[in-house]
Order: sequence, then structure tokens, then C-alpha cells
Amino acid sequence: MPGEQDYYSLLGVSRDATPDELRSAYRKAAMKYHPDKNVSEGDTELFVQINKAYEILADPEKRAAYDAQLAEMAVEQAQFRCRVIQSRRTILELDEPQVHYILIDIEPRADIAEVRPPINLSIIIDRSTSMRGPRLDQVRAAAISILRSLQPSDSASIVAFSDRAEIIVSPDQARDMSVARARLSLLTAGGGTEIGQGLKAGLAELERNLARQGVNHLVLLTDGRTYGDEEECLAMASQAARQGITINGVGIGSDWSDRFLDELASRTGGNVVFLDSPTAITGLLRKLFDDLTKVVASRIQLAGQFAQQVDLRSAFKLLPEPMPVDDEFPANLGHLPRDGKIRVLLETVVHPLGDVEELTIGRFEILGDVLGPQAEEIRLPLHVRIPVSQEPDPDPPPDDILSALGAVALYRMQEKARHEAELGQAGQAARRLENLATQLLASGERELAKAALNEAERLVHSRRISAEGEKMLKYGTRALLLPAKAGPGS
Amino acid sequence: MIECPTCKHQEFVGTMFCSECGARLVHVSPLPTMTIPRDHVNEVAMATKPAAPEGPELESGALLGLRVISSGEVISLLGRDNYTLGRSAEGQAVVPDVDLSPYDAYEQGVSRMHAELRVERDSVYVLDLESANGTLVNGKRLQAQKPHPVRHGDIIQLGRMRLQLISRVRN
Repeated sequence: MPGEQDYYSLLGVSRDATPDELRSAYRKAAMKYHPDKNVSEGDTELFVQINKAYEILADPEKRAAYDAQLAEMAVEQAQFRCRVIQSRRTILELDEPQVHYILIDIEPRADIAEVRPPINLSIIIDRSTSMRGPRLDQVRAAAISILRSLQPSDSASIVAFSDRAEIIVSPDQARDMSVARARLSLLTAGGGTEIGQGLKAGLAELERNLARQGVNHLVLLTDGRTYGDEEECLAMASQAARQGITINGVGIGSDWSDRFLDELASRTGGNVVFLDSPTAITGLLRKLFDDLTKVVASRIQLAGQFAQQVDLRSAFKLLPEPMPVDDEFPANLGHLPRDGKIRVLLETVVHPLGDVEELTIGRFEILGDVLGPQAEEIRLPLHVRIPVSQEPDPDPPPDDILSALGAVALYRMQEKARHEAELGQAGQAARRLENLATQLLASGERELAKAALNEAERLVHSRRISAEGEKMLKYGTRALLLPAKAGPGS
Repeated sequence: MIECPTCKHQEFVGTMFCSECGARLVHVSPLPTMTIPRDHVNEVAMATKPAAPEGPELESGALLGLRVISSGEVISLLGRDNYTLGRSAEGQAVVPDVDLSPYDAYEQGVSRMHAELRVERDSVYVLDLESANGTLVNGKRLQAQKPHPVRHGDIIQLGRMRLQLISRVRN
């Protein structure tokens, strides 16, 4: 292996150069540095290197081996790495389907440079009538605090929307605190909720300042349902994801549509926070911004394919924030924090295998951009394999998987109960919530257990779950997925 | 499949927590089906009502469907009031409306004309057509030729083949 230069750059060709391109590049270089002609010192060594390079690259077999070596080196030197934990060490040879779980950790290198990335941020605020009073006051205070901590390389805007959008603070105005303050005092409540309007205006501001060296981020704050433009919003979110913009949702109170906001955010690798009281708004926005200053890599994606015998049943991001992940690959996973990791849990169904000794579950790639002045696109290959055996793995599954699955089971029960309530199966939904409460109590979640019992009782009397209860149970059980909090189910 | 010791819900091998009641399943033996003799149909006692079906949806317009438990595939039933269930074999004169042979019906002891599903006055019934290995609903064996009401989520077992009824028929 050459010290600094790889053979491709030595010959001045790209990594996918054809044999013809290689030959002509070699001829040119060899002619230039030929010992008969060379004058300057070191040219002979270079000539030897060039010959060696061509010898390797001209031979398809040697070239393939060399490429593999290069790829390995790239992985070793990458600024982040990934690790896979599987629920079992072997998979059973069975004539029926079986479930298999895979945990993927993406972590920055311990010695990664401490660089604060440029932040390209847009905060989109629902100014509908219901936001009047403390909710908007909190938003204003948070906005001022964030604008104050902007650095010259940052860009920030604040957009308010009702049935139309207004840029309250543009990126230029954001640099001048007195102007920004005056502009924010214009932020008053009134009108309906059309999220599409706000989203469009906010994304337009972000697009003007898109930066590969930095994070591109949109925060959407709402307390209501958007009317009739859901599809349009989701299409905008998909487009934003392709541009590398991540969307975070913040839902205040009980009247917003959690399913819509979840879908919107998950398409971009962002997450959703539920606030039952407006007093937490300032702190939350402040934290969102501080977290952005600690991002080391962004636009992290999980791409690739499962083997034919393997189906993906569900995907959950557990870290840095719990969130269901789109089961269509490439899946967007958002930002990688310097002091943490991204952890994804995949639930797969493995169908009968036939006679094989090893199953390649899938061939994936982790993609992402390392931020900062040395911005770099990284691709980590990730082949997940497992030996096939006739005996079950006698060892218990790893704790990380077990505790996460315990929490996922609780989250699913809540989803099922809600679904049953919507289908009019109130009795069944109530029973399920009672089961959920039992499991929650067993893991020490008294408050959530109480909420589940309250809703079970409500189901018996009024056949419905309250809008507030739905959100408390959903985001409450989702929060249990954070590994620090997740205890085994029983 | 493995069975939850708490609520008797059936889950795929390898499942760690019951999707019905949240109980931990890690120590439930992962190899039960391989020990069931092939020529013997077990009557599985179901302690609770089976869960509502999950997974793929019915085709639009279909009111009835059957989910093949072993594979999760959904067979949509469209355009009739009654459907015969069974498997086809070469040279067979009468073929069933729903041919289960792609789902290993033969190996699982499904007869050529095994059972019939009927929709009558907003209710769905299943009827065993004097099959060799019998028909069970939620673990209970049916008398031959006697219609038995079934509802959304019920498990209909033909021989060893388990199907879950998906019904949008009001009852």
C-alpha cells in the first residue's frame, strides 16, 4: 500500500476507470517519469511506484483485492463507525417463519475533532388563535434566546403561519438583535392552521442557505390540525429529506395530529416531541438548538436490501431520540451527536431457508456527511450475516435488545388499543390498556400506568380514548425506548 | 409458532415479547411445531379470543379474507356469497373456490373439498364438508355439515393449516 497516495490518484484516474483509461494514463505517466528522461530527484521512485500501480490495476483479480483493501482502509479511517448486534448468534433451520432482531449502532470516533457545525435553521410557528397567550410568549422568548447564540456561519429564520405564512425574522434580520426583537413583537395570534403554508416558506429559507458542512434543520411548532394539505406537506417533507433537511415536530396540547406529525418528521429522520404544557416550550427549543451545535455528522441514512427470505417488519430508532423509522430504504436517520450514537432496531421475519450454512440477512450501507470545514461524505458497507443451525442458541439475547423490545411491546399495545378503540372494539381496547397498565406498573412507570387505567375506564363508559390520553400514552411509552430508561418488561 | 404462556396468543418463533399482553417470551421453547406428529391434528384450546388480524390488508371492495397464519399472506375473497375451501389436484373434476395448495395445503392435511364459508344475512358461517382431518374454529372441532358462525379474527383450522378470518361483514 502506498503511504499517502493510492494507486488511482498516482495514475491520475478515477476509481472506476476502464482498462483503456488505465492503459493510456499509465503510458503518459511512464513516459514522463522514465529514467531515460527524468531530471529531478525522486522521479525514479515515482516511476517504480507507477509501474507497480499499473501492474496491480491492470490485473482484474489484483485490482479487486486492492479495491477491497482500499474500502477497508476507508472504513478504518471513517469519522464514524457502525456495529451490529443480533438477537441470536445463530438462526434456526425451520420450516416456518421466525422473528429475528438486529440492532445497529452508529457512533462517532472517540477522537473526532470538536467542531461546531454551521447551523441552517428555520423555526415554523403555528400562530392560529389557539396559540394566543403563554404559548406564543414562550415561543418568542425561545426565539430571542436562540437568535442571540447564533454565530456568523449560522443562518436562522422564524416563520409564522395561520392560513398563510409570514417571514417574521429573515436570516438577514436574525443577525441584528434589535431588529429581530422588534419583528418578533409582531408575532400575534389569529387565523387557522395550514401547516403546508408555513412549511413551504420555511423550507424556502433553508434552501437558500443549504450547507454541506452544516446541519439543515426545520422545527415545526403546532397545536392544531392542518386541513386538507397533509399530502402536500408529506411530499414537501420527502423533498426536504432529499435535500438533506431534517424536520422536528413539536406538538402542544391535545388537539394536534400526532400521526401526521410523526409521518412528516420520520420521513426526514427527525423526531416529534409532545408538550402537554406550554411552560416547557422555551426550554425545549433551547435544547433543540444546543443539540444542533453538537452534531458531528448529518444526513445519516441506512440504505441497502434484505435477502429474499427476509422481510422487514418494523424499524425503530432508539437513540438519540426514540422514533419509528420509515420501513422503506434508504431510511433517513437524521443527525449524529458527538457525545452519543444513533441506534436502530430492526425487526425482521426470516422465512424458511432451505439448505444453507449461513444466511446473509442483508447488504446495507450507512451513508452520512461528516460536518465542519473538512466535510466529507462517508459510506460504510454493512453486511449482516448469521450462521444457520439446527439447535436454538442457548444463550439469552443481549440485554440491549431485550430491554428495547420490552419497551417496543408496550408501545405496540398502546397503538393496538387505540386502533381497536377506533374500530369500535371498546371492550377489547380497555382490556388491552389494563394489560398495558399491569406491565407499566411492573417496570415502575406509575404515572403512565395510571394514565392507561384512566383511559381504560373511559373506554368502558364513553367507548373512546381521550385525545390527550392518546398522546400521553403514545409519547410516554415511546420515551421508554431510551435505553437509560428502558427496563425489561417483567 | 410459539404460544404465549399468559394469554395463549401465537407468535412467530424468536418473538421475545407477546404482542397481545406484553409478557416476556424469551424462555418459551422455540421448537414446538417440529414435535407435533404430522398425521395427528391437535386440538388447541384457546383460553382467550384470538387477536384481530394484523398485516396485509384486504383488496379494496373485498368484505372477507383469510390470512394464512404460517406465511402472513392474505387471500381476499370477492364476489360471492359462499366459498368452498380446499386444494386442487391434477385431474380433479370439481375444484374449490379457494385453492389452498400454494400454501402447502396437502402437507398440512387439507382435503380437496374441506370446508365452506357462507355469508348469510350479515353473518359469516363456516361449515366442514366431511373432511378427512376435520375443521376447527378457535380450537373447537366442528361437527361435519353443520354451519358454525365465525367472526373477524377467528382462527379457522383445516387439518393443520391455520387461517385467520378477516371480515368486514357486519355481525
